[in-house]
Amino acid sequence: MKIIICIKQVPGTNEVKMDPITNTIIRENVEAIINPFDLYAIEEAVRIKEKTGSFVYGLSMGIPDATEMLREAISLRVDKGILMTDRKFAGADTLATSYALSKGIEKIGEYDLIICGKQATDGDTAQVGPSLANTLGIAYATDISKILEIKHNKMSCLKITDDGYEEISVLLPALITVVKEINMPRLPSIKSMKTAKKAEIEIVTFEEINADENRAGLKGSPTQVRKTFVPVHNVNNEMIEGTSEEKAQKLSEILLNLRTDVN
Amino acid sequence: MASINIIKNKCIGCKRCIGACPFGAIEIVDKVAVIKENCTLCGSCVEVCKFNAINFERDKIESVDLSKYKGIWVFAEQRYGKLKSVSLELLGKAKELSDVLKTKVTAILLGHRVNELCHELIAYGADEVLLMDEEWLNDFNDHIYGEVIIDLVNKYKPEIVLVGATSKGRSLSPHISSTLKTGLTADCTGLNIDKESKLLVQTRPAFGGNLMAEIICPNNRPQMATVRPKVFKPLKPDYNRKGKITKIHKPPVEGFVKLIRNIDNSEGLSLSDAEIIVSVGRGIGSAKNIQLAKELADELGGVLGSSRPVVDIGWMPYSQQVGQTGKTVAPKVYIACGISGAIQHLAGLADIETIIAINADSEAPIFKVANYGIVGDVNEILPLLIKNIKEAKITIDKSYIEHINTYP
Amino acid sequence: MDENEFAKIYGEYLRDESRQVGNAESIVFPKSEAEIISSVKEMFEKNIQITTQGARTGLAASAVPHNGHIINLSKMNKVTGARYDEKADRFFLTVQPGVLLSELRKYLANKSFIVHEWDDKSINAINYMEKAQWFYSTDPTETSASMGGIASCNASGAKSYRYGSARDHITGLRIVLADGDVLSIKRGQFIADDNIFSLITESGRVIKGELPKYKMPDVKKNTSGYFNMPGMDMIDLFIGSDGTLGIISEIEIELNKTQEVNWGVTIFMPDEDSAVDLVRALRHEIIIDNIDLQLNPSAIEFFSHNALNMLKNQQATNSAFSNIQEFKDSYHTAVYIEIESDSNDEVWAEIEKLGDIINALSGDEDNTWVAYNTINLEKLHDFRHACPECVNMQIDSIKKTDNRITKLGTDMSVPDNKLKDAMKMYNEGIEENNLNAVIFGHIGNNHLHVNIIPQNMDEYEKGKELFLIWAEKVAAMGGAVSAEHGVGKLKVPFLKKMYNKEEINEMRKLKKIFDSAQILNRGTIFEFEEDEK
Repeated sequence: MKIIICIKQVPGTNEVKMDPITNTIIRENVEAIINPFDLYAIEEAVRIKEKTGSFVYGLSMGIPDATEMLREAISLRVDKGILMTDRKFAGADTLATSYALSKGIEKIGEYDLIICGKQATDGDTAQVGPSLANTLGIAYATDISKILEIKHNKMSCLKITDDGYEEISVLLPALITVVKEINMPRLPSIKSMKTAKKAEIEIVTFEEINADENRAGLKGSPTQVRKTFVPVHNVNNEMIEGTSEEKAQKLSEILLNLRTDVN
Repeated sequence: MASINIIKNKCIGCKRCIGACPFGAIEIVDKVAVIKENCTLCGSCVEVCKFNAINFERDKIESVDLSKYKGIWVFAEQRYGKLKSVSLELLGKAKELSDVLKTKVTAILLGHRVNELCHELIAYGADEVLLMDEEWLNDFNDHIYGEVIIDLVNKYKPEIVLVGATSKGRSLSPHISSTLKTGLTADCTGLNIDKESKLLVQTRPAFGGNLMAEIICPNNRPQMATVRPKVFKPLKPDYNRKGKITKIHKPPVEGFVKLIRNIDNSEGLSLSDAEIIVSVGRGIGSAKNIQLAKELADELGGVLGSSRPVVDIGWMPYSQQVGQTGKTVAPKVYIACGISGAIQHLAGLADIETIIAINADSEAPIFKVANYGIVGDVNEILPLLIKNIKEAKITIDKSYIEHINTYP
Repeated sequence: MDENEFAKIYGEYLRDESRQVGNAESIVFPKSEAEIISSVKEMFEKNIQITTQGARTGLAASAVPHNGHIINLSKMNKVTGARYDEKADRFFLTVQPGVLLSELRKYLANKSFIVHEWDDKSINAINYMEKAQWFYSTDPTETSASMGGIASCNASGAKSYRYGSARDHITGLRIVLADGDVLSIKRGQFIADDNIFSLITESGRVIKGELPKYKMPDVKKNTSGYFNMPGMDMIDLFIGSDGTLGIISEIEIELNKTQEVNWGVTIFMPDEDSAVDLVRALRHEIIIDNIDLQLNPSAIEFFSHNALNMLKNQQATNSAFSNIQEFKDSYHTAVYIEIESDSNDEVWAEIEKLGDIINALSGDEDNTWVAYNTINLEKLHDFRHACPECVNMQIDSIKKTDNRITKLGTDMSVPDNKLKDAMKMYNEGIEENNLNAVIFGHIGNNHLHVNIIPQNMDEYEKGKELFLIWAEKVAAMGGAVSAEHGVGKLKVPFLKKMYNKEEINEMRKLKKIFDSAQILNRGTIFEFEEDEK
């Protein structure tokens, strides 16, 4: 099998500190890391590789510094790292990113399975996986928590939904996005790090993927960021007074009005 | 190619743009701002520059004929013939937006034996329902549902499409948007119409909610957004509202993915996954009183947790212990019953949105971190609370039953 | 208050992490030194014994009261000042005893303190913080430990391999004595003249005395009884004195500069011998294959085969541990090291050599976990911390079948050249008595925690006897019966294996110089005189 993992480099922390005087963002020395969800994708691909003898590509689109991140992916037992880097890719939203990645994947050639993390922690959109599959015209399934079986043209897996799980059967080639329940990623070993240090990361530029400029980067992005701002959280510290009945009444109203994701 | 450039003779090196950049992609070199390679062209820096020293050069983009697109669509998600609450919430929001745009709200309902849901959709704000009731649409399928909706969009040309950010909605909507090559904004927490441009302004959290971004989709249609459940409130249903129901038939579409079986959650959630945790401390008094907290947790769809002393005396298993030596939990709501709040316990509560504390001791440290506090006997407050919540629920259920009776 | 009534309301203050339960009649939570003094004076007059408590995370039952009054210092939790020595580039903080290690770490990470009660000098000193990232090197596993507790038992933790124990970073103490008088000591201020010491209290009283004659063991980590050495700095007497000489009301600690690069490596070896050889190679005691290893770890930790098995079982059966790293069945014994440096490249060059050494010692460099960022380092920490947590949980569940059973963990250290002997002693003792035990801990300092997990009271008794035998043997090896937890109340019998009756009596005499009525933490380190008769 040939497996492709899509990997994104994200900031190691989502904490945005504000300078109280200038009301601006303080972002000092934030280390860049592999999107945590992509680690599960890598691990799952490596587990398939260990069982079936597959070849695992790690594909990323990002700034030139991301070569180090792909090296890290190799220390996690990915076989080859490919970085698509070009200013023409910059400013891409999920649609333009999906398009560019689809062109990068076409350059790799034949493949059986693409695995992505459920979402990236810097954007949390969970859109690139499905969009990429759709652009490539292949099957996709999101939020996979377990691969049950892989046959030559089909795989069955468990998908997490709001209501529980679905057991599904997916035609290959396909793209799946994986959740953290799927496995526990291993850490690199001294040996795998030695391999990674020596590895060569393939760099792919815009010219090499035969892409349409109108569909890549900022130009190919239908969505635009109009404004960003830091949300103001009011720390409500309220003591509920009254008789026991009144207290219970007020609290139940508060509870029923709290906007939670519980359906 | 699009780019952000510093106009060197205008830049005074005031660093304001550095503070505005969410990506740390600007630095000052020789008292002039320099855009680094990791710039994502988000444009956050442009407006904060007081000296007009940042130039955002966008490429000219040919837009589609926007005037052809009219109306707001809401994808009506249902399962086993029951609508998801988020779809009703979105109808309410869509109605509000449609008033500004002077257009109508259309619910898209796909499934099998679901026509009776049309009336409910209308009651909650839909002016029209596009209904496809087919056996082959019985099971939700990203690909099949996606292709059907793409066809409908191409035919009817809505200007806005809203989808609930449920697991299905989040998987379905990128299929639609990427085929239509239009924008899709995930997990919006705010939707507004810009007065001048009439564009949909979509507010969404970024960087784990630490930053908010306003997103627009100026040149492509439809403008698509997903919205998390409970962000908006549904309208009060009006079962006398009239609306149009359009039935559409299509030949079946084949998908790449087949559902083999559904495995619905039967057992309860684990502590770390729970959205609501009702947690008990020594103040609960006795092991049998824990049942009260369990009942409250069940009523709220939450999970029962506990502080360490309660585990130590064997009233609760270790798996339910919250706190530094137990689990760090991240529910939306944490109700601490009779927990005084030792530091070790409070350390496990760092990321909770709403903490509610009930404790007899007004000096208990838990009140310092609580958003809402009640000084009182847990065993007196809890039964009253459970009673109130049960009653409130019955009222909601009744309204469902009533309308079903009215519209068989 | 009646004991039963007290237990009902303040039950949690009768216990600590040792799982021992005591009793008491009264408790106060002073917010200032003045409040400590007034409470102490009251008890002194009434001749009621006092137990001092911090965060009650101690493992030797120092904070478990044996009747009388409790002074709980958890509400004295402020950082009260800062001092920067510009010449030496050294940074100091003064803290109240109730400040938790986790709180201190948070303040330091954010470089943010509550300063409205600070003097200008302290506020000014904080500005120098910006120059570097500072940290407090004493790192007991339990981060909810209090600073007072850390000073009282001379705690250390994994990084003591490089940084030493609490003693090495305490530069000042304020101590409320049993009569309410206060002693303020800065390091370097009161040095004993050979074995004669003299101290001056705040009220001007001069306390003179003679130091005991016993010699402390020659080990890197020791907190077994009072620190004693001719010509010693008298501040060291109070550090590690388990609250028996006075109540600490303020501590000045010295901080260290954080190094940019912090790596962790867990190495799984095929057997225990090769793991110990690896440790010796890491300590530069042996050279393997002519490889010139320059690596200087800040911590060297150990997991016995049984400890790994315990983790594996818990991981499979207990959801609380389902998130610790998975490892192969073939992994036998593990060594964990932490490395601090200024350069990743430098560390990596050494790790490459380490890989070769592992291979040469019949291990496999692929059977390692390397963490070079905070996220992965955290995973290795969790794996390490899961050991004591697993033990505690198992003890808790056994305790339900028989509540006389408590934690049975050793805390002994031996000199470097006795490491192999000590390992042999532990393994043979466990095997001969057919007990279930796990060994983990600070092997770099020859300081291992052997934890016996008894299945019943019989095994518990056997384990206790075994501990006494070990204490005797460790003392004979020139080791210490308590390396970091303190003697407390639990290890009083062990200390008797290390020091003879006369030497223990010397300690008692020393205590009486500061606490003539012996009201402070009675029964801690040694028995109360009258009890012995």
